[in-house]
This record gives sequence, structure tokens and C-alpha cells, in this order.
Amino acid sequence: MYADDQRRPRPRRGPLAGIRVADFCWMGVGSVATRLLADFGAEVIKIEDRTRIDTPRKLPLYKGESARNFGEEVVGADPDKGGLFNNYCRNKLGVTINMRAAEGRRLAERLIAASSVVTENFAPGVMERWGLSYERIRELRPDVIYARMSGYGHSGPHASYRSYGPVVQAVSGLSYISGLPGKEPSGWGLSYMDNQAAFYNSAAILMAIRHRALTGEGTEIDVSAVETGIGLLGPVLLDVTVNGRVTRGDGYPTGNRLEHPDGAPHGIYPARGEDRWVAIAVFTDEEWERFADAIGRPEWTLDRRFATQHSRWENQDALDEQVAAWTVRMDRYEVTKLLQDAGVRAGAVQNAEDLNEADPQLEHRGVFFEMDHPVIGEARFEGVPIRFAQTRADNWRSGPLLGEDNEFVFTELLGIGADEYAELASTGVI
Amino acid sequence: MAGNFSQRAEAGAAASQLPTPYSDLRVFELSGDPASEALGKLMATMGADVIKVELPEGAASRHIGPTATGARDGDPDASLNFWFYNVSKRSVVIDYRTADGMARLRDLLRRADIVITGWRPSDWAALGVSPDDLRTDAPQLIVANLSPFGLDGPWADLVSSDLVGLALGGPLNSCGYDDHAIPPIRPGGDQGYQLTASFGHLGVLLALLERHQTGHGQIVDVAMHDCLSVSAELANPYWFYPRVLVHRQTCRHAQPTATQPALFATADDRYVYFALITAEQKPWQSLVSWMESKRLVADLTDPAYADPAYRLAHFAHIQQIVEVFFLLQPAGEIYRDGQQRGLPIGVLNAPEDLPLDEHLTARGFFVPVDDDAPGGPHLYPGAPIRFSALAAAPITRAPRLGEHTTEVLGGAA
Repeated sequence: MYADDQRRPRPRRGPLAGIRVADFCWMGVGSVATRLLADFGAEVIKIEDRTRIDTPRKLPLYKGESARNFGEEVVGADPDKGGLFNNYCRNKLGVTINMRAAEGRRLAERLIAASSVVTENFAPGVMERWGLSYERIRELRPDVIYARMSGYGHSGPHASYRSYGPVVQAVSGLSYISGLPGKEPSGWGLSYMDNQAAFYNSAAILMAIRHRALTGEGTEIDVSAVETGIGLLGPVLLDVTVNGRVTRGDGYPTGNRLEHPDGAPHGIYPARGEDRWVAIAVFTDEEWERFADAIGRPEWTLDRRFATQHSRWENQDALDEQVAAWTVRMDRYEVTKLLQDAGVRAGAVQNAEDLNEADPQLEHRGVFFEMDHPVIGEARFEGVPIRFAQTRADNWRSGPLLGEDNEFVFTELLGIGADEYAELASTGVI
Repeated sequence: MAGNFSQRAEAGAAASQLPTPYSDLRVFELSGDPASEALGKLMATMGADVIKVELPEGAASRHIGPTATGARDGDPDASLNFWFYNVSKRSVVIDYRTADGMARLRDLLRRADIVITGWRPSDWAALGVSPDDLRTDAPQLIVANLSPFGLDGPWADLVSSDLVGLALGGPLNSCGYDDHAIPPIRPGGDQGYQLTASFGHLGVLLALLERHQTGHGQIVDVAMHDCLSVSAELANPYWFYPRVLVHRQTCRHAQPTATQPALFATADDRYVYFALITAEQKPWQSLVSWMESKRLVADLTDPAYADPAYRLAHFAHIQQIVEVFFLLQPAGEIYRDGQQRGLPIGVLNAPEDLPLDEHLTARGFFVPVDDDAPGGPHLYPGAPIRFSALAAAPITRAPRLGEHTTEVLGGAA
């Protein structure tokens, strides 16, 4: 069944051991949401469709190959060598089911009946087209938790609107509130909301699991990524709804400067080297004194305009010019060390190489780890950044090959006989 | 459209007869940074009794603006920053820097499920207790410590902020403008803290599930730096696999090499986000027929464009025509029409646009809250998680400093 016995699923450890998840999730949000469940012991069975391969399998993040932007997919590439998929689907089992076939839908129902959590992040209506309404799923498993993740939620006039991270960030306001005054928004250079919506979805599922453990009752869950994003806008939202502020045409947003509190210097300053930067944040007079001492009290620190926290904040153009003239001659880590030694908030802008190869704190904390993959070879992973005194993540296997666990799941877990299994395979149901 | 889930959930929540997910939990929140407060807020809005324990001068967050219009200077009860992060909580004042205060606090923690702290090792030392100490008489207690760098390691006592955290942790490297003479730009809100709060919440939930099996709480050590280092989406995988770095671009994904702009200006001086992808047939046809319906299709109906290779070769030309197409229409119309044609277009809403959004209104997302500002009630964002069998707690205004001291401590503080 498994060429390498190490790939064979074994009993899982952790607070979610014993919970089986029929996981219809794909793309970023859903896969990240269910990854946490798999990391802590749930038996997450990812259901894929061979005719509609999960996008992270296709994005060209390939080990040992040259750089391609993520839109530059390679036609006919091996779906098992996609690095992003491996990153998102570690610790999960993988099966394939053709949901367009009636036999496939029947098989999915058998899997659901043998699971206690069902997860999905399709556009609203897709699961219903397959007959998988909450009502139906509850018939199959009365105490089921049915977690539904979407951009806009499962009701309302825009429920069927299409979204992915950048669209969610735009619609929720997160993009608009990010940028320099008088310029187009700089927004986000990543699908932040694929992460945050995923974490809210993971939390919702854990809440439901806890509720079921206490009461025996299941639930349907509806999380809208846009609504999650609005909840993350911060105090400016109440400035608008309570004070009636209008942010458009208002010198807003303020880039790296703050409206509140009156932090200054508060910015990203150039350091020696190409595109090297360092963050500095000073919030009080006491911190300013330490900052001035640390940089050797140059003449300009005595400028009357910089005498108090508020006057520094009011004169940030002049202040930032002086600070930048100091930082630009220094290495970004030199600035970090010098200021942190003086108790001043400062930190280099680090990239992925810095984090993975040279960050002593992350190394100490063991945030990243490695696991072997049959096609990719050794691969590095982003661990769950939570350190428990007792609980441990159970990292047992890298991401599943396409359909790798079909035989195990369908014959051993569901008890399908050899003949029927062969039939499912030969007729393209799996 | 999806089934009747939401009518059911909304009806249930309105009737408030459903239990809340955390109705059995008592949480003490000892820190005033946005990460700890956002975690407390997540728990409070899901029904936990979250008691904010403040020093006599009040949480630091009470002294950060903006303030409600008309508030007097220095009023600890008028900060909208505080209101945003502290709805649905209670406030007690205990000076736990004193031996008496600490004894009183530890007495409360004996009957608590969770305590949220936000301290570095040196802060714990200054208080004269350790996270373990808090659990000595309280084996059920979960200590969730959300700090800049965690409870150990060479950087554990460094100082940080949202900006510094996002810089050191990596996400900032992906955010900013095409023009790299401009530094990376911090995304708005307090997202470094918010990511920390999200992982804090997951840590608390996993510890609660573990406690359900073992009866014991534990220490949950969450570092903003750890959280951010795994939260830049593609940046790490690009390093893990092809070993390349991504470079920031204006309001679109940082990538190994430059891609076309995805932000388009509109007739009403707003923006929409649209990643123009010409490789796939269906979205291309949707776009062309939409442009045709507005008589702004220019030459894109030329049969030559039916070939994806031709489109790719003439991408710059297509991009220009699409720019004009968007520039001649208001953003709201583009958003609606494009989405109705199945194209994933997003309007860049400003905060003031959101309470007017028909979809959010239909879902009853914003909820009126009777707060202390004149002209209320005012709209607050509602719970982002909906259950058919559970309800979020009603959102109540943030507590005034020490408002519940007597109620909670039963007498002299």
C-alpha cells in the first residue's frame, strides 16, 4: 500500500487525536485552516479532484528550479512537486474523489459518515450542488461540525461574489488604510487575509469541537473573510462610526507614521546596502533621551523642534531627515543592536533568507523544521508559532501525494472491499 | 445560493437563546497591548467573562487616541483605541505591583480558566512572579503570555512595537510600493499584534481541549516575532523551494520578478483591485463582453485576441485599454458589474464606506452599541464567526476604569 512504510498513517498524538475531518478545502484559506487541525492530531483527510487539481500544487514554487512568479504555471508539471502545497498540507492524508460522478458523491458521503468534522471553502452553493447541505450532512452524522469558509459568508446579496486574499483585503478596507498620504494605497504584498481568515476558521472549528465535547451537539459554521478583515481595521473604524470621521481626502493614511499615539521618530529608515531598511519607534521622552544617548547626542537632537514627544511628532519631516542621515551610513543590524542595547524599539527589516538562515531567536525557538518528501526531498516548514508547556504539534508526514492515501482510507478506514476499490479506481471515481 | 443557514443563525442570535461558545469561561486580562487586548476581545465577544485587571493609572491603551469627540484631555474612559479593543469586558483595578495586590490577584486566578499576560522575562522578574508561580495554586489555569519575542531566547528581553515587529518578523519586507526608493510601508491597523492575538487564541483553544482531557492548564507562550515569521504567505515557501526572495510591489503580491499593476484608478477617484490574467479563456471572455457592453472594448474583439499567446504578446496594450475602461466608471459600479460577470474584482473601501455596504447590512454585521459618546448608539463591527448552534455574545461598550471593581472583588480593592 505504501512503498515507504514511513508514509503509512499511524495513530496520532495531540489534543485533537481521534477527530476525523472530511476536508474539502483547497487554495490558501481552507488549507491553512485545516493544517492546524492536522498539526495537533486530527486525522484530516484532504479530498481532491484529479480533474481540478488544487492550485497550490500547480504554483511553480519548485525546489532546485529557477524563480518563477506564481502566475507562471508550468503546463503538465508533476502535481506532487509543488512546494506551496507541501507547506499547506503537511500532516494531512490525501484522497481523490470525482465529485461530478454520482458514485463519487456516494463515496464522499461514506467518508463524511465516518468523520465528525466536514470543512469546505468553495463558493457558496457548490457543496449544495453535490447534495451536501448541512441537513444532509447531519443525516449522515448527527453531531457533525460543518465548517464553511468563504469570502462573503453564506447569506446576503454578495454571497456569490468571487474573492481571494487581495480582493478581501480591498473590500474590507485593509488595503485602503495602508499607504502614503496622497498616493495610491500600498495595501498588502501578500494574501494576509488568507492567513487571518484561516486562523479565525481554525478557531471556530476548535470552539465547535469544544462545544461538542461539552454538550454532544454539533453545529454549522459560517465565517466571512471580509467580515473578519473589517474586525481587524483597528481604532480608525470607531473614529469613523463614533466621531463621524471621513478618511478620504484627509491626508490619510499616514504611511509608517502614526496618528496615535504621537510616536516619533516612527518609521522605516534606510540602512547601508541596497534596499536595506531598519524600523525605529520612539514613544516617550524617556525613550528619546535613550535614543539620543545611543546615537552620541549629535547637535541636531538639541533642536527646539525636537524637545518634546509632541513637538517631535509635529516635526517629523525634519526629524526623519536627520534620523535617516544617521541610519543610512550604518548596517541595519548595527542600528538594531545599538538602539536595542539602549532599550529603544528598533529592528532590521528582515527577508525570508534572514529569518531562515541568520535569525538567532527563531533558531532558538525552533519555529522552522524539516521533513522529507518522496518527490521534493527534504523540505522546510513553517511551524505553529505557539510554545506550549505540555501540548506538542505532531509532525508525522509531509504533504500527501495526489491520491496517496486512497487505498488506506477507502479500504482500511471505510472497509471497502478489494473488488469495489478496484472498480472505483478503474472507473475514475477516485 | 447557499441554504438557509444564515437566516437560522441570525434568527437564533437575535433571540439570544443560543448558548455562547465561551459561556463557561472566566478570563483575566492583565496587559494593555493590542495583542493581549485583541485576544481578550475575541474571547469576550464569544461569551467569556473577561475581566480586565488594570493598575490604578489604567491600561496604557486608555491613553492612546483617537478619543471620542468632546472628551476632556486625559479622560481614561474616552479613548476609541481602548473602546475598539475592549468591548464586552469588565474592568477591575488591582495594583498587583504590591504584595497585597498580587495576593489578591492570585486569589482570583484560583477560580479562573485563563489569564492573559503580555510580559517579557524581565517584566515577570520585576513583578516578582513567574508564569509557573501563577499556576501553583491553580492547576486548572491556562497562562497565555503574548509577548514580543517569547519567554526565552537571546532576544527575549528586546523591546518592540507593531512596526518593529512587522520589520523583524518579515511581513513588512513584502509591503510597499514598486518604487524601492520608498521604504517598505506598514499595513494599517495593528496587524503584527492581531496576528499574535490569532495565534494566542488558537493556543488557548488547544490548551482548553487538552485540559478537557487532562484536567490541567498550562503555559502558552506566544511570541509576536515567531508569529510574524510564518505569516508572510509566499515569502518563506519561495525561500524553502526555489530559494529566491520576493520583492515588494504596489498593492499586489511581492514576487521574485515584477508583475503588472493590479490597482486601477476609477472615475470617482477611487481604486479597484483586479489582477488582469489573460491566460485563461473564460475570464478573458467575461472581461471582453463586459467591455463591449460599455462600448469601451477598443480593438480587443479582434479575433487575434482569441489566442492566449497573442494576448500575452500584447499584454501591455490590453492593460492600457483596461486602465481606460476602469478610469471611465465609478468604483462601485465596476465592483458590482465585474463580480456579477464572475470576475474577482475588489473595490478599495474606506472605513466610512463599510456601514453603507448592502451586503454587510443584509447580514447585520455592524451592531449598534450604547457607548459613552454623544449621539449614540454607534455602530461597531460584529462577531466574525457565526454558528447555527451557538451565538456570539451581545457587544457591550468598553468598561470605564475600575467600573466593576466592587462587583468583582466584593469590597475594598
